[in-house]
Amino acid sequence: MSDPLVDIRDLSLWYEKFKALDNISTSFTAGKCVVICGPSGSGKSSLLRCVNRLEDFQEGDVYFEGQSLRECPNIASLRSNIGMVFQHFELYPHMTILDNITLAPRHAKGKSKADAEAHALTLLERVDIVDQAHKHPAELSGGQQQRAAIARALALEPKLMLFDEPTSALDPEMIVEVLRAMRDLANDGMTMLVVTHEMGFAREVSDEIVFMDEGKIVERKETNDFFSNPHSKRAQDFLDRILMKI
Amino acid sequence: MDWSVIATHLPFLMKGLWMSVKLATLVVIFAFPLACLIAVGRISSRSWIRYPSAIFVNTMRSNPLILIVFWFFFLVPIIIGRPVGDFASVMIGFIVFFSAYFTEIIRSGIQSVGRNQIQAGLSTGLTYFQTMRMIVLPQALRNMMPALITECVIVFQGTTIAYVVGLREFLNSTFLITEITLRPAELYTFAAIVYFVVCFAGSSLARQMEKRKVRT
Ligand SMILES: Nc1ncnc2c1ncn2[C@@H]1O[C@H](COP(=O)(O)OP(=O)(O)OP(=O)(O)O)[C@@H](O)[C@H]1O
Ligand SMILES: [Mg+2]
Repeated sequence: MSDPLVDIRDLSLWYEKFKALDNISTSFTAGKCVVICGPSGSGKSSLLRCVNRLEDFQEGDVYFEGQSLRECPNIASLRSNIGMVFQHFELYPHMTILDNITLAPRHAKGKSKADAEAHALTLLERVDIVDQAHKHPAELSGGQQQRAAIARALALEPKLMLFDEPTSALDPEMIVEVLRAMRDLANDGMTMLVVTHEMGFAREVSDEIVFMDEGKIVERKETNDFFSNPHSKRAQDFLDRILMKI
Repeated sequence: MDWSVIATHLPFLMKGLWMSVKLATLVVIFAFPLACLIAVGRISSRSWIRYPSAIFVNTMRSNPLILIVFWFFFLVPIIIGRPVGDFASVMIGFIVFFSAYFTEIIRSGIQSVGRNQIQAGLSTGLTYFQTMRMIVLPQALRNMMPALITECVIVFQGTTIAYVVGLREFLNSTFLITEITLRPAELYTFAAIVYFVVCFAGSSLARQMEKRKVRT
């Protein structure tokens, strides 16, 4: 078996006195889409933010392509290989969509303006909003903004994409279009870690499910397996509750 | 009413107005960068920077301007060990006092740009400095522009306090002319109009900026 793209070893994270991640060890293989789910406050976002060291964990380490994040001399350059998509999009409101997308390729990856813009336009084409390129984020619908944010992350030509509840701030009709863009991405073989409550997406698109609770990974299974017989009581309860709502 | 007193003494009054403008401009020029530093201290994660900044800001904001001006007027020569002149003493009092107010405006401007915007910038591989410069500060500056302009108008009005040490700013000049001409009604009306115009211009500008504020 090939080396994992992301390898997490004995990772613990505290916020002040509160232990948000409790000795997590796991790994993620290139080309797979893994959904991370669990109740609110279980540490899903924290785990995701440790993978690109937006969160400075205190114990353990994360390896990206074998590179230790703790000892990484240039974390910015490592991050420029990892795309991240946020719940509230976090587009830069003072820039056009095109500038949002080209900012990092130009200033973090040293691409020329022309190259960055050409690439940005093909990405916008891909998420179906190329006609919005010269607008500001506030002029777009929520679904369009999130697709623009996905394009911004893809502009890094990332080896890994992190999604933190990308659809939970969206109206139902817009959720569909964002999930479609994510599914296309997974089908193209992108490595994805997705925190989401969209169990339909998880079932249809993901290869594996990680279930977290109280800062720990309680269960990790192949997707089909997870839905047919999750064995931990907490995962079972969680599934019941969330599937009930749908 | 005899409005001709104003025309007669206009050069003297304008000299006073010029003094007020000069005071206010200098105060803003010095207080703003100072406030930027203190604001960064206010939001620092290190408590040995954060607490002194907070104490400074709260001390200044809980005292009347005139007390601070007096205080520095007598304190500064003691600290420096020799008189520095009325103008300098008063200026230092103003700068210190208003830097506290500017600090709070700048702080809330920076904080109005969510933590997540910083994370978004960092996540794409920009450095912290690039993220601040290209993502946070442009938004912060735009968001705090209206409040900054309003504060500048307040500084302009605040400079009237300089009369306590005998500086001839606009209001003090007006007062001196009333002493000579015994025409307080006309002169103070004129002064009020001048202050109103300055204030109105400032708040119109602030309103315009408010419209251009970043929508989030
Ligand atoms: N910056 C922070 N400072 C202090 N505590 C935090 C911080 N961020 C998260 N926490 C706490 O850490 C725990 C885990 O948070 P995290 O955001 O990772 O959970 P989550 O699983 O993503 O939850 P949600 O579904 O609500 O997004 C929570 O109890 C939260 O209150
Ligand atoms: Mg979360």
